[in-house]
Amino acid sequence: MSESHATRERSYVRQFELSIGRVPLRLHVSDDRLFSEASERYRAFASSQNEPFAIYLKNSFSANGGNPEFAYDFEAQQGALRAFAGESQFVGADNPYTLDCLLRILLTWMLLPRSGFFLHAATVIRDGRAYLFTGKSGAGKSTVASLAPEGSVLTDELSLVRREDGVWRAYGTPFWGEFRAGDSNTSAPIAGIFRLVQAENNRVAPLRSVELLRAMIGNVLFFSRQPADSQQLLNIVSRAAQELRGYTLEFRKDRTFWEVLPA
Amino acid sequence: MSTTANGALWRKNPILAWREIEGEIVIISPNNSVLHELNETASFVWKRLDGRRSGAEIATGLAAEYDVKPEDALGDIETLVEELASRQLLVPADNPSTERTE
Repeated sequence: MSESHATRERSYVRQFELSIGRVPLRLHVSDDRLFSEASERYRAFASSQNEPFAIYLKNSFSANGGNPEFAYDFEAQQGALRAFAGESQFVGADNPYTLDCLLRILLTWMLLPRSGFFLHAATVIRDGRAYLFTGKSGAGKSTVASLAPEGSVLTDELSLVRREDGVWRAYGTPFWGEFRAGDSNTSAPIAGIFRLVQAENNRVAPLRSVELLRAMIGNVLFFSRQPADSQQLLNIVSRAAQELRGYTLEFRKDRTFWEVLPA
Repeated sequence: MSTTANGALWRKNPILAWREIEGEIVIISPNNSVLHELNETASFVWKRLDGRRSGAEIATGLAAEYDVKPEDALGDIETLVEELASRQLLVPADNPSTERTE
């Protein structure tokens, strides 16, 4: 994080701006150590854009003139968030891990009006296009990422997918498996989404739209329990399933599986 | 749990998200990420389970659309409704005004 993005708002609150999946955010942090750790973690995603969505890290929620549009209590980490039209408040985000979790949760909601969603998938860039490999834990996402050429992996765990100007793109995120930070704030048009199946031989088979939807929906990261939000998410993922190419990829745990991927 | 045997009416559970893709209805619940999929004829019925139409009414339409006997269509609808209700995808139509339109 460069100094140009890190300024003192008041004597005890520091702020920095970042952009994840072209969603501009501004964190307001009063804890010096957390500010330093977060600045380092999100360094590659520092950005100054117009009208960033403000996130205030607080000790307790303050009244904000109404009910939150989105609320989530992350009990495992004793963290919670409340999101309003113009800002969000995080409570309990006193360490980088909880902050990271609340950021992910908030973004799942913020991506809805932006035709986006998070998919548990590794993303690898090849010839300028994004190949997404999805599956549950243990399916082989990290394996695929480890077998990709150095510098070609946008994420090994959580892919950010958005439709912009009629094109579905995958974005790099700071969210990697095992809490490793990503370092590529770039994006690429999506070539295809591959449902991973470990096998003895490499083979790729196309999926119908409803099959791709089925492959994706169970791997979408989502937290809102509001019916309207669920409907919006289903609409977005269904559109992705109809407009993107999907495949089942049976693969061996070596580099040879790249040879069967469609161009 | 029939739309017809005891005259009960059913509607879609309002907490659900659903849409049509490739001519088939897919449904998810906010409480989990389980995807429920309905085949073409079940999708036909689903779209008409609005808390107002009876099973007999829907069966008449189903019989005309798919060239089956109305009594067979009605039996299939009763079985389907029982299955959907057991998965909490349908709820009794005690408040039809909350039905979401397509």
